[in-house]
Amino acid sequence: MKKIKIENVSKSFNGELILDNLSLEIPSGKFFTLLGPSGCGKTTLLRLIGGFEAVDSGRIYLGNEDITYLPVFQRRVNTVFQQYALFPHLSVFENVAYGLRVKKFKESEIKSKVMHMLSLVRLSGHEFKNIANLSGGQQQRVALARAIVNEPDVLLLDEPLAALDFNLREQMLIELLDLQHNFGTTFVYVTHDQAEALTVADGIAIFNQNGRIEQLGTPKDIYEFPASRFVAMFVGNTNIIEGILHVSGLDFELEVENLGNFLVHSPSKKSWFISGRRIFMSLRPEKIFISKKEKEGFSNHLVGKVVNIVYQGRFTQYQVKLKNGKLFTVFEQNEEHFPQEDIRVSEKVHLYFQKENVVLLER
Amino acid sequence: MKILKRIFREDFPYLLAFPGIIWQLFFLYIPLLIILIFSFRNYSEGSGFVGWTFSHYSKILKPIYISVTLNSFILASLTSLLCLFIGYPVAYFLAFRVKKLKMLFLFLLVLPSWTNIIVEVYAWFFLLEKRGLISRILYSLKIISDPIHMVNNSFAVLLGMVYCFLPFMILPIYIILDKMDRRLFEASADLGGSKFHTIKNVVLPLSYPGIFTGFLLVFVPSFGEFAVPALLGGAKKAYWGTVIVDKFLLLRDWETGFALASIGIMFLIVFFVFAKILFFVLRKVFKKYKSL
Repeated sequence: MKKIKIENVSKSFNGELILDNLSLEIPSGKFFTLLGPSGCGKTTLLRLIGGFEAVDSGRIYLGNEDITYLPVFQRRVNTVFQQYALFPHLSVFENVAYGLRVKKFKESEIKSKVMHMLSLVRLSGHEFKNIANLSGGQQQRVALARAIVNEPDVLLLDEPLAALDFNLREQMLIELLDLQHNFGTTFVYVTHDQAEALTVADGIAIFNQNGRIEQLGTPKDIYEFPASRFVAMFVGNTNIIEGILHVSGLDFELEVENLGNFLVHSPSKKSWFISGRRIFMSLRPEKIFISKKEKEGFSNHLVGKVVNIVYQGRFTQYQVKLKNGKLFTVFEQNEEHFPQEDIRVSEKVHLYFQKENVVLLER
Repeated sequence: MKILKRIFREDFPYLLAFPGIIWQLFFLYIPLLIILIFSFRNYSEGSGFVGWTFSHYSKILKPIYISVTLNSFILASLTSLLCLFIGYPVAYFLAFRVKKLKMLFLFLLVLPSWTNIIVEVYAWFFLLEKRGLISRILYSLKIISDPIHMVNNSFAVLLGMVYCFLPFMILPIYIILDKMDRRLFEASADLGGSKFHTIKNVVLPLSYPGIFTGFLLVFVPSFGEFAVPALLGGAKKAYWGTVIVDKFLLLRDWETGFALASIGIMFLIVFFVFAKILFFVLRKVFKKYKSL
């Protein structure tokens, strides 16, 4: 249960810079997620914390201890590997007991710890099975148990659910959360799946190329108030519009060519809020109200033509072509079996959104 | 027509195995069967085949053959063990340390086997004999006062055997090590295992199949080997292979030769079945003990 501090870490492979002067503090006892597209350096950072790779420069601290050059096997950190890396020649029990045997625990203690751990991950009764005879989800649980049984200060998880199918993944995510709450261990979770990250994380760091952190915050912060165009587009769906800003207090007007002026609002003032400047505005699809009728009480109004409709179960996705030719995505919650309005392709629709639900982004 | 098409499209890969199977059958199993059958044949110079008999087997139930078996068994065991202890580190080095020149190293490893075994063994003879290279160098360096003759003894035989059979131990172990999942080593280190611990508890257990194959490839031929003991051992010790060769080529006592060969094969089969069972039981017992 310790925090991790990464200080000015750089790392390159074969002359290619993967992490460029990265600094990051991962709070203790939290479920922390490193989220980013593949090749952004998040796995490299995890491997540096685990000790599988050495930094080119910079420092890594675990609590107050400098672990930059500590060999892997002396770090109080354990890893759940992407493809599990379970020992094929050992039984389930022996896989989980591996770390305890290394640390020369008493036989009776090993037995009680392993059995307790296996019951926590719901694998009781499978102790003497071969790894090859387990399902993917069971192997995943063995990998978890094998790491957590050592009671590490920090648990590193490298896309641990990538190999599982969708339903199992959801279930394992909830089990992971439970484990984290039970043990209070600091979890560092690497993923490229934004839905996973939003589900589990207490804190998220969004990575762009070369390990540049675009935003650090809670899932809600990141989803509702993305700090950049990259974050807005990477986490969830969004509509991006470019326009010229006109400032007056905290309410602004955004002038968009061939589309009109929109009222927008920002909770805080940024240095780049300057009249006449070209900026982006991000609008989440579920924050747009779609209707065939004229409505009152909205700050902004658009008109367009429905291009296609995709039914998604929980919601329906509409693609609407605006008068400047741009496509807008709109999600409508399916609250009833039979919606009041039957919107069809190529019909004319009105889109409404409130000024508070818009996020302004620097261009 | 349809059936022919189906056979050609779907079963073609299996058809390709036929020449191999036929070869194996005609040139391996049938000769083995002939050896076995002939070892029971009662044959005399004048009248030819006169019936079946166990007499060839009772002829070889003598203490001399027990000591011959023992000689061969000890030689094969020592050869296999030495090949294992020398070969494992070489295979390990090749698999984990050599990055770029792997093919070159493997080529150099099997290169000596491209020459005839007799030539290889003669080369050793000329190195080890009284006027040989080693003796001369040691003499001129004044390490020894008289030239020494290092052939015609068990040491020279063992040396020659290890030299000839080493690649057969290294290659199967190398193949296993080379394709071993490196992430398992990371997992071991992650769980606190030092390098030594990882080798002992992960690398070594996972290379058992390679070790077993290597052992089989070295032990079996070295049990029946005749060229190396004959050339480097003088005539001091009799081995299974040399005795059989003598029976056939020198004494023209084919039936006893057949009987000896049959017994030898059976001995090897029993030995390996026994070893495999022992290995299996030990592992089961060991596993059970460890977990409970």
